[in-house]
Amino acid sequence: MSDADRDFQNEVRSFLSDNKYPKGTDYNAWRLDWFAKARAKGGWDVPKWSKEFGGPGWSPTQHYIWEQETARGMTPLDMPFGVGMLAPVLMGYGSKEQQERFLPAIRERTVNWCQGYSEPGAGSDLASLKCKAELSADGSHYLVNGTKIWTTMAHIADWIFCLTRTDDSGRKQQGITFLLIPMKQEGIEVKPIITLGGAHTVNTVYLTDVKVPVENRVGEEGKGWTYAKGLLQHERTGIAGISRSVVALEKLKEQARSVPCGDGTVLEEPGFRSKLAALEAELMAVEFTELRSLATAQAGAAPGPESSILKLKGTDIQQRIQKLTVEAAGLHAAAWGSAKAGPKFGRSGMQGYLSSRAYTIYGGASEVQRDVVAKNVLGLKRSNSTSD
Amino acid sequence: MDFNLSDEQQLIQDSVERFVSDRYALEDRQKAARAGAGYAEENWQTMAELGWLGLPFSEEDGGFGGNQVDTMILMEQFGKGLVLEPYLASIVLGAGALRYGSNRALAEAWMPALLAGEKRLAFAYAEAQSRFELSDIATTASSTGDGYAITGQKSMVSNAEGADAVIVSVRTAGERTDEAGIALALVALDAPGVSCEHFPTVDGLRASEIQFKDVAIGNDQLLTAPGDGLEALQRTVIDGILALSAEALGCMEMLYKDTVAYTQEREQFDHALSDFQVLQHRMVDMFMEYEQCKSMLYRATLEVAEGLESAPRTVHGLKYLVGKLGTFIGENAVQLHGGMGMTEELRLGHYFKRLLVIDAQFGNADYHLGRFAA
Repeated sequence: MSDADRDFQNEVRSFLSDNKYPKGTDYNAWRLDWFAKARAKGGWDVPKWSKEFGGPGWSPTQHYIWEQETARGMTPLDMPFGVGMLAPVLMGYGSKEQQERFLPAIRERTVNWCQGYSEPGAGSDLASLKCKAELSADGSHYLVNGTKIWTTMAHIADWIFCLTRTDDSGRKQQGITFLLIPMKQEGIEVKPIITLGGAHTVNTVYLTDVKVPVENRVGEEGKGWTYAKGLLQHERTGIAGISRSVVALEKLKEQARSVPCGDGTVLEEPGFRSKLAALEAELMAVEFTELRSLATAQAGAAPGPESSILKLKGTDIQQRIQKLTVEAAGLHAAAWGSAKAGPKFGRSGMQGYLSSRAYTIYGGASEVQRDVVAKNVLGLKRSNSTSD
Repeated sequence: MDFNLSDEQQLIQDSVERFVSDRYALEDRQKAARAGAGYAEENWQTMAELGWLGLPFSEEDGGFGGNQVDTMILMEQFGKGLVLEPYLASIVLGAGALRYGSNRALAEAWMPALLAGEKRLAFAYAEAQSRFELSDIATTASSTGDGYAITGQKSMVSNAEGADAVIVSVRTAGERTDEAGIALALVALDAPGVSCEHFPTVDGLRASEIQFKDVAIGNDQLLTAPGDGLEALQRTVIDGILALSAEALGCMEMLYKDTVAYTQEREQFDHALSDFQVLQHRMVDMFMEYEQCKSMLYRATLEVAEGLESAPRTVHGLKYLVGKLGTFIGENAVQLHGGMGMTEELRLGHYFKRLLVIDAQFGNADYHLGRFAA
């Protein structure tokens, strides 16, 4: 690390410690204020946005430092859908009017977005989606009918960015159109899906005769797949969560140290200890895989196929950390409801573990990721492949 | 060797299968889990009427002269149905401990009502600090002359809700982790000084934290001679591990079969998921590991039933495999179901959660591998 990088690291640390959430105060007010202050630092509220759109223009090393420092959870909750996923599409393919209309509120976190991609029949094979959008005779609007599923936070979102089918005559990747649709309107119904940990974060979204003005189409009709593909790469990089895993592993050690086992603690249990050590070694390696990938991206190029490796390794490590948390809690990980049994992290550990099983499913299932690597990196071909 | 069931055993298996298919649709199971003591009273009475509660006990104990093999047959089918009734807690562990204890009068006083389904027991062996070590016991029973006073706390006690009494591992002498100085005591749950906190567990079952404050019991409520209880505790737990492993096997079978069925229905990339070789191989692995668990379950159950000296080590090997491979099968069943595998709607998630809980009960995979290697 250079002296300049070290200075930057110190600056980030003091910013984060100066702006911690003061317990007992209005969380949302603090959150909005935090992003305003981060913005005043020179685009720290949107680290990944380019300078042109008000981002900080950091080097890969600076991004890495930011990830590491913020992994300790001193930043406000932030959903990736607006800032991380839709904004790059608007910057790349949206009209000037759309950029001016949507980017400011995305940046200020005053409008919540959700992502309308997966459908009951289109999961890993996203391009087979069927949600239909028909252009009106006068060309003023689309009429949208269909179902989206696994839509995270749809129940609190103001808008949804949606992949719709405007043409089914050609290859399935053609004829997909990218639409921006307000959620709070007639014709949109959101039904919760309760997942294994008992949580409600994902939903099914039913769209019935929803009128979408043609100004809400991003880019050209039928080109939505190209726009979305770039977006999926962004999603995959984010999912790896490597810096967060480093922090989670440290926390796991503390948790294991708090659980008695014979005359010592679980941290000294041989089976647990060796699994923990194996995880740590692999995590050290994948940290450097991420750094190597960042170095490649130095010139500002989009993350390439190596982001698939990061997602595969990163999500595997996240899941194993969660599993070890459950093992550390032992019998008590099963305690549910408002039970006060065993260590405090038992219940959240079990919830975290169950939720973590989705990490290798969403944003491209691990099997599909391996196909991508096989095809794009190793140059292998197969008859019934999942990649395009 | 003949691994086929006898005619009698086959009849029992068929009858449990029918019971599960009649009474255990997922929706009914979830409803029963949320109500009352977490299971259906009616089902418990049916089990008593069909003679299942007395199945693994000798005629002299009021049973039908069966053994661990019969329990295995029942529990495997219970696993397939995610059955909630306290067969493990009250019969395998509760009545089982009475059988392995030396206090015949106490056993005779309780067995008929237990096997008739009129009374129920829970079995409290774990404590906040004990991790998976049966002999790590801080709960003390101090002699008061004509009896004992019990003080301490037991943790994660299954099915104490709805039970009349609990069998508690206590320390009559020695230090917390000594193997000597242990006894088993039967304590009524409404005795003065006993307080319970009941709660659900992640698999939809129930557990309790039970506090004992100077709870007075008579000498005749000890199942074993004071200080001499470890063997009865271990034998009871070995039966418990066999029963849980059989239940786990039922869960694993449902998981791999559901996955094979689902991947043939679900189409992506213009193919059934089951057309993809990588998924086929994964399902072959799930199937193989299921068969491995089945073999080890048979081996361990027969060794215990025959009283072989090697049996305790084989049981460690069994619990290691069941813990590790149950998780493997469960995780892959979810993965191959994709998003649908993450929902509460399908039954597979419920089998998966049950397997996770079973892994930790009576010691997880790491613990038993350690004991197996020792």
